[in-house]
Amino acid sequence: MPSIRVPSALRTLTGGASDVEISASTVRDAIAELDKKHPGIAAKVLQNGAVKPFIRIYVGADDIGDLGGLDAKVTERDEISIIPAIAGG
Amino acid sequence: MTTRAVIVGAGGLGGPIALSLARSAELVIVDHDVVEMSNLHRQLQFTAADLGQPKAVRLAAAVTARGGTARGITAAWTPEAAEELGGDCDLIIDASDDPATKFGVADWAVANGRLYVIAAALRHGGNVFAGVPGVACYRCLFEDPVDAPTCADAGVLGPVVGAIGGVAAGMALGLLAGDRTYAGALLAFDDLRTVPEPRVVRFAPRPDCPACRRAPISPLAAPPVRVAEGP
Repeated sequence: MPSIRVPSALRTLTGGASDVEISASTVRDAIAELDKKHPGIAAKVLQNGAVKPFIRIYVGADDIGDLGGLDAKVTERDEISIIPAIAGG
Repeated sequence: MTTRAVIVGAGGLGGPIALSLARSAELVIVDHDVVEMSNLHRQLQFTAADLGQPKAVRLAAAVTARGGTARGITAAWTPEAAEELGGDCDLIIDASDDPATKFGVADWAVANGRLYVIAAALRHGGNVFAGVPGVACYRCLFEDPVDAPTCADAGVLGPVVGAIGGVAAGMALGLLAGDRTYAGALLAFDDLRTVPEPRVVRFAPRPDCPACRRAPISPLAAPPVRVAEGP
């Protein structure tokens, strides 16, 4: 089952969980599934159906921009990583 | 030849960065804020004696006390004021807690061909980006600062800023020494309590990046510069 690595900045929405296993075949489905388990997280990552401009998403080591965007395929062993720009100092 | 560096932000990240670079470069430290009691647990460069004093000036004094050379400027850094706020620097480091300032610093560095480091800390982790002219820039990676979470949104664990600040200072020293190992890469520390190693994010230049293409970029909405130098 693929998993999503939730960044520290968004873990208030996952009850502190850093890795969440989901059942999905694309990144888009994975985020939707994550949002079902932890409501509100999709709104932090997506805007008008696209990834927000201060967030990058990776499947393994690959940016989904090189894999078809949110329609990038994911397999059982894939780890999806959400990496946001952060601004704390 | 003297190496010059500008540090934007004299707080949790700016403190360890400035103190680490104290003997390696002449520093210009820019921050508009004053020291508050709520800062002291994570901004270890300050003591209760600094309460109410300008952060930039007090941090510059701490650098000077360690044998370094630093000028503290009490002002909000903006691209429009960049020339006045150490525009002749070899390297600029963003250690602020403001998304727009981070992108402004990166864009200014790209436009002026300067080395730059963008540092950020939040909750239990942080990011450090190493910018070098001619490679993919910060705005190639993250397109726009809107809604990027800040400490005000999510908080930060006190020791995290020391760790991320140390990495940022080390990155700056490396860039100044000609080390390009991480040029154009983001080191993402997800949770320093459990995973001390960063994820190294490398990426290609974005063809439509307005910073790399030197196209106009939306100006920062920032207050006018107030300059009060010290110590």
